[in-house]
Amino acid sequence: MTKSVLYLELDNCIGCRSCLAACTQCGGHDEKYRNYVVDVNPLVDTQTMPLMCLHCVNPACARSCPAQAIQIHETGAVLSARVEKCIGCQNCTIACPYGIPKFDVEQNLMYKCDLCIERTQHDIPPMCASVCPTNTLQWLTKEQLAMKKEQNVLDNGKWIASSDHYLENETNVHISLPGILQKKQKLF
Amino acid sequence: MQPQKNEQEWEQVNGLDRAFASRFAKNMFFTLLTIVMLSFIGSRFFTHLDLNLYGYMVGTIIFLAGFFYRFMAWAERPPTKVFIQKGKKLLFRKNTASTSVDHMVSHKFIWNRGIYRWTQHMLIGWGCILSCFVTFPLVFGWMYFTMAENGMYTVVFMSIDVMEVRADGLLAWLFYNALNISAIMVIAGVCMALYRRLKNEKQCAEQTFIYDFMPLYLLLFISVSGLLLTVTNVFFAGFMQPTISLIHQYAVIVTLIYLPFGKLAHIPIRPLSVLAKNYKLHYGEQEMKKCHHCGNEFIAAEQSADVIDVLRQNGMEYKTEDGVHLAELCLPCRRETRLQMFKHASASMLSVGRGERT
Repeated sequence: MTKSVLYLELDNCIGCRSCLAACTQCGGHDEKYRNYVVDVNPLVDTQTMPLMCLHCVNPACARSCPAQAIQIHETGAVLSARVEKCIGCQNCTIACPYGIPKFDVEQNLMYKCDLCIERTQHDIPPMCASVCPTNTLQWLTKEQLAMKKEQNVLDNGKWIASSDHYLENETNVHISLPGILQKKQKLF
Repeated sequence: MQPQKNEQEWEQVNGLDRAFASRFAKNMFFTLLTIVMLSFIGSRFFTHLDLNLYGYMVGTIIFLAGFFYRFMAWAERPPTKVFIQKGKKLLFRKNTASTSVDHMVSHKFIWNRGIYRWTQHMLIGWGCILSCFVTFPLVFGWMYFTMAENGMYTVVFMSIDVMEVRADGLLAWLFYNALNISAIMVIAGVCMALYRRLKNEKQCAEQTFIYDFMPLYLLLFISVSGLLLTVTNVFFAGFMQPTISLIHQYAVIVTLIYLPFGKLAHIPIRPLSVLAKNYKLHYGEQEMKKCHHCGNEFIAAEQSADVIDVLRQNGMEYKTEDGVHLAELCLPCRRETRLQMFKHASASMLSVGRGERT
């Protein structure tokens, strides 16, 4: 595991889509972005949220891959399909509970967020977190994450983004729900 | 590993299966039996076996053991099993030939990934295939040359005199040099691949020596040592020829043993892409799955059901509150559902505990 983890503070997103632009510039991404910024209430308000691969500890995409093309890096990152193995069946796109993997029909290849593994394996923040101007995407050390957890624990003892409530499974990327920063002075 | 059969299951096993301790043993036995029979016929009752090449025979047998060990386990994985079992029933679809050519001969999908990558892959892939087509028939005596009259070679394939060629003609030259040509192809392809791996930042980050470089070095070593045999024969009167020949033979055997377990394992996996394409087309024509939210058709209904089943077998059952499996939603709706879930579970509605929030 790396020293740091990716943490999403959904409250902060202003929809600038810098993360998407940065994603296209990551080496090997062929100038295609692999994450999403979604309008939560289109034509009603301007709320947006980023959504990206949460790098499940037990990933459904890898479990459903008939060619064993999706591998898990020693840091915990669930890598994009290995180009030599992917047979283009799209099982992974159906299996992912978060709807993340993309499929290139021409190349007969699935591609997804690989947590910029060439950076994060050396504890350098992924491209998206490097450029996010509002700290929606944060690259936190374990200690910093523990502090967040301490601050955002609910009165029922659960963390605000505990997997059994809002996510389908345990993930290596952590999310805090919108509203966590309400009435709070932001430092940026 | 196969689970132990109970008494009732043993009763259902047919007589042939009862003769073997495992499916692995059965597959190995019948494969070796087929090879021996083909050699018996092809080499005219074992009279034309080249025993200089017996090392490759041993290597092939060890390769087969590794191949069955690795790929029988692979074929038992739930998602793989689905594609193999359903895909093989659809092999006689009209598009099978064109898909096979696209995926396994012309590698069109690699062309779409880049001309450089396509070129290197064609050189390595077809260089290896050409060398296998020459080497293995020679090793097992399926193909050999005889000289009935002076200056003319007879090409014998499976005991049949296929053609006569002039010993100093172009065709004969191609026969003699097929392995040299394939070696040059592989060396060129491997050099291109190595250059890309050393220059491409993404590759530099992800690649490992054992997985990505070793197969390239093995292929390079085989090709160079093979070419050296020709060089020593033509220019140095066969100096160290027996030694180089043994080194080359060992290199081939090591690569054959390694093949099912490393990166080269993608070669036996590739035909599954033809089965997968047939599966997608066939079941897509039958019924498309409509997204439970937006009603858009997004995947074959059969595939959606199969993935749900595979996930269930892996202990994963992802359902929304209204009982719909997430695999029954199209991708945008699945993302939308998640975000709505986040939104409605807004922390502002929950009581957040202690600590100064910064």
